[in-house]
Amino acid sequence: MKKLIYPAAAVALFFASAFTVIKSQDWKIAEGYSIKFDGGDPSGEFGGLKGTISFDANDLANSKFSTSIDVASINTGNGMKNTHAKSEKWFDAAKYPSITFTSSSIAKTASGYAATGTLDMHGVQKPVTIPFTFDGSTFKGSFEVNRMDYNVNTAEPAHGSQKFKVDITVPVTK
Amino acid sequence: MFKRAFFHGLTASVLAAIVGIIYNRIYFFATEADFSKVLNIGSITGISVMVCMLATFIYFGLATWLKKTGEIVFNFLFSIISFACVMIPISISLPLSIKTPELFPGLAVPMVFFPALAWYTLKPLFTGSNK
Repeated sequence: MKKLIYPAAAVALFFASAFTVIKSQDWKIAEGYSIKFDGGDPSGEFGGLKGTISFDANDLANSKFSTSIDVASINTGNGMKNTHAKSEKWFDAAKYPSITFTSSSIAKTASGYAATGTLDMHGVQKPVTIPFTFDGSTFKGSFEVNRMDYNVNTAEPAHGSQKFKVDITVPVTK
Repeated sequence: MFKRAFFHGLTASVLAAIVGIIYNRIYFFATEADFSKVLNIGSITGISVMVCMLATFIYFGLATWLKKTGEIVFNFLFSIISFACVMIPISISLPLSIKTPELFPGLAVPMVFFPALAWYTLKPLFTGSNK
């Protein structure tokens, strides 16, 4: 029986190491990412992206995105607009400091992948699907958000755009 | 004559550009905010020359057209337009690579007055008939 201890340990280590391979599909967000929004006027970008990205093209069932951006990092290119965007009237950055996206499922599509999950913005959670591609080092996604769905300055529906195209580019490293 | 107005505008543009460049450097050292993509030696000089040359034509036109009140009208006009131009740096959207647009008005708002200030400062050196 003692003779089996070492082979058993070797087998255990072998299978345990397989989990580390699966774990290695976790990606770190690298510098140079961009989260840009375009509504004509205003347009701009967010910073402060953080979170966890677990993605394996061969194991979509175990892949997951859990990310957030810092609302106070908004940059429209204009200081006055930045201040307005962070105010109570718009994003209320003091009360809702981050915008988060947590995926619940990721599926293969004809052009790439689609992450379905919950977008939490301005205290409102809505299901969204974000189509994206992954080339091995960079995630690229694009989707549309209507600020009225998230109660962002609903008092002034005609003040600026309601619909914003969001373009996400996230380079990653292992 | 136009020659006098031209040299007045030219020297005013040089003075405005020098003051603008110096202020740009001081502002950078004070805030470490880099706006060199939009305001640098070239653009400050170019804008100063453009504004002062435009002022030269308007001044000459008004001084010729309104012989008695032309200069007064011009001075009011230059001051009012300079003040109205305060809205340009406040409302402009900068490239997104500039991470501190909040600090831009502090740099650019004073600069909109430099051509007019330079013009008025140098005016005593260019007094005389413009006919």
